[in-house]
Amino acid sequence: MEKSIEGILNKLEGLNTIELIAKKLNLKKSTAIKKIHELKKRGYVETSGGGKQPRLYRISRIKTQKIGNPGLYDVINKNSPIKLVKPYEHRIVGRSISIEEAIVLAVKSENFRLILASLALFNKVKTWSKLYELAKKENVRRKTGALYELTRKIMRARKMDDKTQKLLLNAKHEKKDIIAEMHSEDFKDIEKKWNVHIPFNYNDLRRYKE
Amino acid sequence: MINLEQQNELFKLIGEILKDKLECYVIGGSAMMYYGMKGNTKDIDLVFEHEKDREKVIQVLKNLGYNERGIKVVSVIYPKKKNTPILLERDDSRVDLFVNKIINTVLSDSMKDRINSIYEYGNFIIKVLAPEDLIITKCATERAGDRLDAVEIMKRAKIDWEVIIKESVFQAEVTPYLFPVFLFDFLYELKEDLKADVPKKVLDEIRKISEDLLEKKLKK
Repeated sequence: MEKSIEGILNKLEGLNTIELIAKKLNLKKSTAIKKIHELKKRGYVETSGGGKQPRLYRISRIKTQKIGNPGLYDVINKNSPIKLVKPYEHRIVGRSISIEEAIVLAVKSENFRLILASLALFNKVKTWSKLYELAKKENVRRKTGALYELTRKIMRARKMDDKTQKLLLNAKHEKKDIIAEMHSEDFKDIEKKWNVHIPFNYNDLRRYKE
Repeated sequence: MINLEQQNELFKLIGEILKDKLECYVIGGSAMMYYGMKGNTKDIDLVFEHEKDREKVIQVLKNLGYNERGIKVVSVIYPKKKNTPILLERDDSRVDLFVNKIINTVLSDSMKDRINSIYEYGNFIIKVLAPEDLIITKCATERAGDRLDAVEIMKRAKIDWEVIIKESVFQAEVTPYLFPVFLFDFLYELKEDLKADVPKKVLDEIRKISEDLLEKKLKK
């Protein structure tokens, strides 16, 4: 069995399952779990999955410094059943991203999967007025309101107060497309009410029903 | 010398003072500190996409007591190189600010796509270049210590050599410099003098590319 950390990292670098780790290091599964725990404590391992999904271990010789607080992808992954692959490590120094801010940043991103995964966060909004202020700042009030209404159609979400709804609906001079040139076939009523184009159909939202 | 904590404090301060969000890329020892490859660095190297962004940060730094270093000092640090950065210093903390070009290397779109971490310090957003691109920029700056840093990056990260080769070819296309030739010299010295783990196959490929480029250039 390989003993030095350097040697182990050389053998394991990349994505692994616990079975693969045990095989590569020629260990029993229980010993491999202990070994991976040790590497994780030293900062060489990032885990993903778990629950229904198999747990995957990303092992890297680079110990990226965990400065600050989780970024947008981490906040969404923590609060949504739809998990996203992080294109990069994103950290916020000196403050943390709130649920309200994560929703607005996702809407602003015009990224299909990011917006889709962020819908679940509407159920965790604490302050609707804060959501409104952030949406106003980024000029995405109607889009945010429309996505909230869409969310209420497919899953449980906390009720937004009437005042915030009205304010979001009354926003002017905002673009119609949440994602460029994407329209919905199934949510015409929401599109009409909010004067925006919803980028999802029922099929896209099935993941939330599973 | 600046460590990661001091660098974070400075970036946080800049982020608090800046009025609007502003992005830049971090290279060199500063980037290596984020990867845990280095404990401290002599200077913070920042690369901006727009001159106006660099101007804003220069203004903030000057308000914080940083002063521009003289031309003589700059030409000692970056001898006979074009596109020298603006160097600011305060006590033993030094910041080098580049715009789009790091000496003879362009901050390419593929480098921007490869970034693997972003740190937000209020309005100051720092993007960290990938280890492969850090080696490329180390080859461009060629200051004392750059070779040792490059070796350390190779030891600590799994280098995708194909990325480095492709990037060097791209750099030769968009700049008047024969980047693969410089890269070959740089990597060859690392392998010979510092026993860096540069695969022979990679060196052979870069040498072939360099020879072809030189031949083309001579024909012109």
